[in-house]
Amino acid sequence: MIFKIARKELTEIVREGRFRITAITLFALLLAALFVSKSYYTSVNAQHSEAKKNVRSEWMEQGQKNPHSAAHYGTYAFKPKYPLSLIDNGVDKYTGVSIYLEAHKRNEAQYAAAQDQTALSRFGDLTPDFVLIFIVPLFIILIGFNAFTRERESGTLRLLKSQGVSTWKLTMGKWLGLFLPVLFIAIPVYVLAALFLANIKDYGQFSLWALTLLFGVYLIYYAVFINITLFVSSLFKKSNVAFVTLLGIWMVSCLAMPKISTAIADKLYPYPTQVEFEEQIAVDKKKGLDGHNPWNTEAKKLEEETLKKYGVDSVQQLPFNWDGFLMQEGEKHTADIYFKHYQLLKDTYVNQTNVYRSTAALSPFLPTRFLSMAICRTDYTSHWDFANAAENYRIELVGKMNGDMAANSKYGDWDYLADDKLWSSVPDFQYEPASYTTVIRQNTSNLITLLAWLLLSFAALYGAVTKMKTI
Amino acid sequence: MLEAKQLSKTYQGKEALKPTSFTVNKGDIFCLLGANGAGKTTTINLFLNFIQPSRGQALIGEKDVVKEPIETKKLLTYIPENLMLYPNLSGLENLEYFSGLANKKYPKEEFLKFLAEAGLQADAHDKRISTYSKGMRQKVGIALALAKDAQVLLLDEPTSGLDPKASNEFSELLTKLSKKGVATLMATHDLFRAKETGTHIGMMREGNLVEQLTTDQINHTDLEKLYLKHMN
Repeated sequence: MIFKIARKELTEIVREGRFRITAITLFALLLAALFVSKSYYTSVNAQHSEAKKNVRSEWMEQGQKNPHSAAHYGTYAFKPKYPLSLIDNGVDKYTGVSIYLEAHKRNEAQYAAAQDQTALSRFGDLTPDFVLIFIVPLFIILIGFNAFTRERESGTLRLLKSQGVSTWKLTMGKWLGLFLPVLFIAIPVYVLAALFLANIKDYGQFSLWALTLLFGVYLIYYAVFINITLFVSSLFKKSNVAFVTLLGIWMVSCLAMPKISTAIADKLYPYPTQVEFEEQIAVDKKKGLDGHNPWNTEAKKLEEETLKKYGVDSVQQLPFNWDGFLMQEGEKHTADIYFKHYQLLKDTYVNQTNVYRSTAALSPFLPTRFLSMAICRTDYTSHWDFANAAENYRIELVGKMNGDMAANSKYGDWDYLADDKLWSSVPDFQYEPASYTTVIRQNTSNLITLLAWLLLSFAALYGAVTKMKTI
Repeated sequence: MLEAKQLSKTYQGKEALKPTSFTVNKGDIFCLLGANGAGKTTTINLFLNFIQPSRGQALIGEKDVVKEPIETKKLLTYIPENLMLYPNLSGLENLEYFSGLANKKYPKEEFLKFLAEAGLQADAHDKRISTYSKGMRQKVGIALALAKDAQVLLLDEPTSGLDPKASNEFSELLTKLSKKGVATLMATHDLFRAKETGTHIGMMREGNLVEQLTTDQINHTDLEKLYLKHMN
């Protein structure tokens, strides 16, 4: 019975010109978005592996050098481009792709794609996630807003009811009649994305499982929108009123709510500006140990303590190079300062995230957006994870350089040179992103909110149609 | 087959139907006559359970339509003044769909036979409803009754707006169904058709069933006189 109703709904929808035009447009948009993303992804990935190779060979072939100079000379950590960013590019456009790693200083990721683009990029990009999260719900509204109102307006609802069909079965049939067209569009995209990703060389992180999970999330999101569409259509007598109401709901949940929750999060937990942030770090640095300035008060204190510990009178008598040791102590100190301040930033980030999670109850768009970015590893959490790994690598690298200098040279001997042996003892920067188990654990609340939306919207739909009057 | 027991409906203090009782037996065609707003459509909507009675009961096959809304609908076919079908589906597809909702399954040839039996010309079966005239749509309604093997027909001014030939054809179909034992309750303005086709007549005025008679008791002229007497 339900399938019979769904089939009739589909036949009707397909025979109407409205559906054909929108479905073809939507499909073309998705395909175009997928192709654009694919070529972008491939070129970025090629650049990435090329740059990575170059940076490593520069490091290995830097010749003979003082280790601390080598630490100053530094190297780069490149953020891997994840295969699923093909679907959802998330915040990647704004976060930068590489971090310069050098002594004494923690740098931000640089070279965000948005920097290279013209003002046009402000109008958004044609990416699959844009179509999937903004346009598909609109498509659902467009084909479903009159699911009930049309029957009511034309009088077929009376005939339907007089045939003794239960309203819930009728509703489920109509539900399927909306879900199937969405599936017809989504499945080819899913298959195509899987083929693209499987054919990209060096796809490393790609798992079909993650892509399936991503599509599952979107399908739940669409189910919620189908429920809302049918719910509204069953409430009103006139199709145009239902349509305008649904458009309003779409605008609020997809356009207004994200902006509002961002505004609330920013108001409650503002981020410091770049200038403020750097100033706070500079203040803390000044108060502490300066590895390059032995006359600094903190440095003097450390010198006294160290001399006492080793029972000698001067730094020249120490069993290691005092300069190297001092610089490493300074390094540790600045690393602590960076850690402290970045931790503060992260706290703000966590607080903001919690605000988003609580406002997610007000719009199904929000949990879907966050889940999508998290699964594609293009959210801020993924970026933080990478930046932290790069910082740890930096600390390790600089520590090794200073340590080598302290152990293998004499105080005041700035002519000491290290060579390939030292450089190759530093492993290449390898970054493993968080496992999917972790990603899902971090996003449990989003998943729960989305499922709650699904259940509650079904319940609301059930309540509305069972109480629906025939005349 | 159809029974109204002290059936009444009140809308916001206004009595659309005052307590009314009547019975329609198998093979009967009970015609409800009366001005607009007399309560004819209200009575039919009560039998369809589209509205619920304020008092009394409407029974179909001895079952209360409020208590058993789905069961009682299995027995009936409803044809309103303007039978609205899905304009983008063909006559055959509409028939298949609505019969399917009533859990009736037949091979395609059977459905075509029902359409033919209802008098719909063969070349229209596969055309979309949007190309149908009103008379053709009402015939699909009759085919629906045939496919459903309905024991009760609820008709709300089914012939108004039909040309005399179409109207005549429709009446003949009703007579055919009544011979099969179908009980029909029909609201109409057509005194002539009521006398010709109907077996029983009920006259309504301001929510009251003021007169009940059988059509063989009365001739055309007297029927009209009686009607006008009640309406004035």
